[in-house]
Amino acid sequence: MKKALFLILAALLLLPVGSAQTELRIAWWGSQNRHDRTIQVIEMFEAENPDVDIIFEPSGWNDHWTKMTTQAAGGNLPDIMQQDYAKLQEWASRGLVVPLDDYMGSVIDTSTIGEAALAGGMIDGQLYGVNLGTNSQTVALDVDAFEAAGIDLPSPDWTWTEFEEIAMKLHEELGIWAIGPGLYGDQMWKSLYLGLGEWAYADDGTALGYEDDEAFIAYLEMIQRLMEAGAIPTRAEDVAEFADQGVETMPVVAGRAAMDTFWSNQVVAVWTAAGEDRNFKLWPLPRTEGGVSQNYIKPSMFFSVTKDSQNPELAAEFINFFTNSLEANDVLFAERGVPIAETVRDGLTPKLSPAQSEMFDYLARIEADNSPIRPPDPAGHSDIVSNVYNPIIIDQIFYGQIPPERAVEMLRQEASRILAESIRVKGEKAYFEHKLRCALKLEREISNILPDSTFTVGTHGRASLPRRTPFL
Amino acid sequence: MSIRPLEQEGTVTAGETLETHRKRSRNRKLRTSLLYHAGVGILAFIMLYPILWLFASSLKGPAEIWTNVSSLIPRDLFFQNYTNGWKGFGGITFATFYRNSFIYAGLGTLFAVTASAFVAYGFARVNFVGKRFWFAMMLSTLMLPVQVQIIPQYIVFQKLGWLNTFYPLLIPMLGGRAFFIFMIVQFIRGIPLDLDEAAKIDGCSKAGIFFRIILPQLKPALITAAIFSFYWTWEDFLTPLIYLNNPKLYTVSLALRTYADPAAATDWGAIFAMASLSLVPVFVIFVFFQRYLVQGISTTGLK
Amino acid sequence: MALAKRTPKRVKNENLVGYLFISPWLIIFLLFTFIPMLASFFLAFTDYDLLGSWKFVGLENFDRMFNWDFRYWNSVRATLKYVVFAVPLRLIFALLVAMLLNTAHRGVYFYRAAYYAPSIVGGSVAVAVMWREIFGSEGLINAIFNSQTVWLGDPRFAIWTLILLAIWQFGSPMLIFLAGLKQIPVDYYDAAAIDGAGIVPKFFRITLPLLTPIILFNLIMQTISGFLVFTQAFIVTGGAPLDTTLFYALYVYNRAFETFEMGYASAMAIVLLAVVAAATAVIFMTSNKWVFYASEEG
Repeated sequence: MKKALFLILAALLLLPVGSAQTELRIAWWGSQNRHDRTIQVIEMFEAENPDVDIIFEPSGWNDHWTKMTTQAAGGNLPDIMQQDYAKLQEWASRGLVVPLDDYMGSVIDTSTIGEAALAGGMIDGQLYGVNLGTNSQTVALDVDAFEAAGIDLPSPDWTWTEFEEIAMKLHEELGIWAIGPGLYGDQMWKSLYLGLGEWAYADDGTALGYEDDEAFIAYLEMIQRLMEAGAIPTRAEDVAEFADQGVETMPVVAGRAAMDTFWSNQVVAVWTAAGEDRNFKLWPLPRTEGGVSQNYIKPSMFFSVTKDSQNPELAAEFINFFTNSLEANDVLFAERGVPIAETVRDGLTPKLSPAQSEMFDYLARIEADNSPIRPPDPAGHSDIVSNVYNPIIIDQIFYGQIPPERAVEMLRQEASRILAESIRVKGEKAYFEHKLRCALKLEREISNILPDSTFTVGTHGRASLPRRTPFL
Repeated sequence: MSIRPLEQEGTVTAGETLETHRKRSRNRKLRTSLLYHAGVGILAFIMLYPILWLFASSLKGPAEIWTNVSSLIPRDLFFQNYTNGWKGFGGITFATFYRNSFIYAGLGTLFAVTASAFVAYGFARVNFVGKRFWFAMMLSTLMLPVQVQIIPQYIVFQKLGWLNTFYPLLIPMLGGRAFFIFMIVQFIRGIPLDLDEAAKIDGCSKAGIFFRIILPQLKPALITAAIFSFYWTWEDFLTPLIYLNNPKLYTVSLALRTYADPAAATDWGAIFAMASLSLVPVFVIFVFFQRYLVQGISTTGLK
Repeated sequence: MALAKRTPKRVKNENLVGYLFISPWLIIFLLFTFIPMLASFFLAFTDYDLLGSWKFVGLENFDRMFNWDFRYWNSVRATLKYVVFAVPLRLIFALLVAMLLNTAHRGVYFYRAAYYAPSIVGGSVAVAVMWREIFGSEGLINAIFNSQTVWLGDPRFAIWTLILLAIWQFGSPMLIFLAGLKQIPVDYYDAAAIDGAGIVPKFFRITLPLLTPIILFNLIMQTISGFLVFTQAFIVTGGAPLDTTLFYALYVYNRAFETFEMGYASAMAIVLLAVVAAATAVIFMTSNKWVFYASEEG
């Protein structure tokens, strides 16, 4: 019995023999649509390079990061991984992805790629990820809704004051939400300060990048007013129906809101779900009075080469093919966002659907008026968003637990602490001293917040909402 | 005229003939039967409702799926969800995924249940030094959240060079599962020692007792363990996620998750279709095995 | 003389036999489970962020967890609430239904399948969508009770949707109870019938006592899995709203995989292990009073 067991184990330990081809592993996240297109492009590359065998590893969004994190710990990352602007800095600072500067201009043809498009992947002057599709935040306007309410479309440089007016009017006239949830996301916080010439984070990522909390408090108070008037969904409604759900569930899709805010490359999915007969226009974000554009051109996602890659140059060749080949992009069809190579954009323009045309057009308009992109989110950003921003700014304020001033103060204290601690990742001793100085007492203060038994959950104005009537 | 003990006939009212009495108890039985079916049946429908909903949604087209959500009856039958879903992605269809899932669940169940029965006997019927210690260790493996064990375990398997194979999924099954070991231990402890002792007197070894006496009496437990094991491995996605790199090795559970991207357009109809389909094998196994959940042993075996 | 020589050999033999029987588990455990568990224990006292470089920090993780992390206590509260309600309710339903289905009524096979079916659906993406729809603003529940409650967004109610989900999936303990019921020899019931016993005495004198080993098993397993609950929250609510469904294991996952704080997550994990082990030990110790093993009583 035991002997048999050992024999079996021994037999099973025999490993398969390696092949003569060079192997390349690529991992990305997406939906079936993206998987199919990407795999087709991979096969095109394999056809042109017969001695290369590419193993592809697609996943859903969450699973992608679980898998990548595990593989990072095991030293088994794929050659190329799809990366995200919010996480790139964390991975780069740990040396998990490598700089690509050596390949730019040589292996990767950058002749038709603008500097701005690549800027989003630069950390400390080095390029860690190649932009796979440009994006910018947008407020999508349901033109028919505006018409039905008798409101003119705003000018592109509209302010938050004008926005509030329009939103209230839309709600009054139509009885639906003026805009879906999303005004209080961390993206909007960052954009707000971008529009004031600053940024949520300092350039070296060790502290917050702004001094004036008042602007943010005023913004949050505006959201409170809108929520109270029933012009936007309450936080409870957001959590129950929209947060973390697919784009198909966005209110504007079913006509429950007249506007919605999302990333421009999501317009295709939104428009498809809403119906071909709808009429959307992509609008830049409103700005603060006297401020500049709150929009920046952001890479929707990157391809990065990881530290475990044995063939970084081959990987770069693949990225070049992905980025510059018109053939490949005919298949990819801007699914990840607007392509960064101008020749590719020109090649695709005649073939685009109305939603995609709007997306391309919008990016072109934004290019004319935008604020330059800042470095990718610093290490500690995930921590701040999950454990500070979302629980305190979004939940505590909009469940009626604490007033905006208090929340913003705590955001400053907590975020500062986390950012300062992140210095340790760069190996400096400053971490220990900073922690002693930077008052853990502040964290103790936060821990004194206990959930109140009275929540503002409300069904503001729900009774007057018509159920899911699209316009037309 | 049949003679039957009165206890089985219930109470007989004075002056009643045997005929009318039997008719009355038949009616009573009918009533209890109806009540039973009504109660149990309604509850069964409530239990099944969400699954019926899933199945109904899998037949709804993209126009209906988010607009006509609550109803159990689709307006138009949209079978393309199944064909679209079956295509999988990148040319790898669900046929591949099903094959992988069957290998994983089938072999995994065989290994796990067999090994668990073996190990459980050791803990339940044999006295050895350190028994309590190892039993406690075994239980404690259930108490540590898997989320923190994944990475160290991954590193172990990586050093063995077993990544991107089925080995990390199947080899650990050869040790059984703590859940089943504990469960079978409890079942064995419920079996009286009389038969064991009789066999020992006849010169049977511990192993002999295991195969001849205990194992036959464990049928309900083993069936249950088999059903659970199949179902758990069938729906496990975490281990396949991190150990199987090549999509050609993906299991059904993993493939289902590969589609859902909250930021991009997802074909929910196809997902529902494939999810409904993935329930079928587990269901079939359950239905097939449950007929073996028969009334257990009788101690007349003592003779 | 002969007696003294015989006993040690028999005992030695039994030790060998015992280890032989548990060897499959023991080997696999030592090879693949022991080291990761040790690693988790070790990492709990370090600051480890994936790159392989870890810093020994002593009890700092624990200090932070207990004194400075308000989300930690949210997760403890949520988990305790879940355990207190979901575990007993689930067990009670499972036992009741198992008894109902242990009959020879027609259609019992179908009913068994129906009651087990929810458990089969398990933790798939589909369950999440389905459950959110049922409790959605225009879902079934609101339709039945004619209300406008925002179930999943209301911090008072969200956790109940998950508790309900757990209860709905009572098929697994039910099946185990059924197997346990099936294992009770018919002879006992027959003997009791001859002695003139009715349904109620049969239940309390035969069924219940002989079922106690299984009840103990289900109680312990459900308690353990209750404390470690993860999937339902992961796929349905993500911990929202206001952390009321941020179960402990979910928070561990977040800390490990979203913010790369492996050391901190490991510390949280071993605290959980300690608590669950303590709870299990208590249940075991008190089990002598009420559990009856046919193989151990006269």
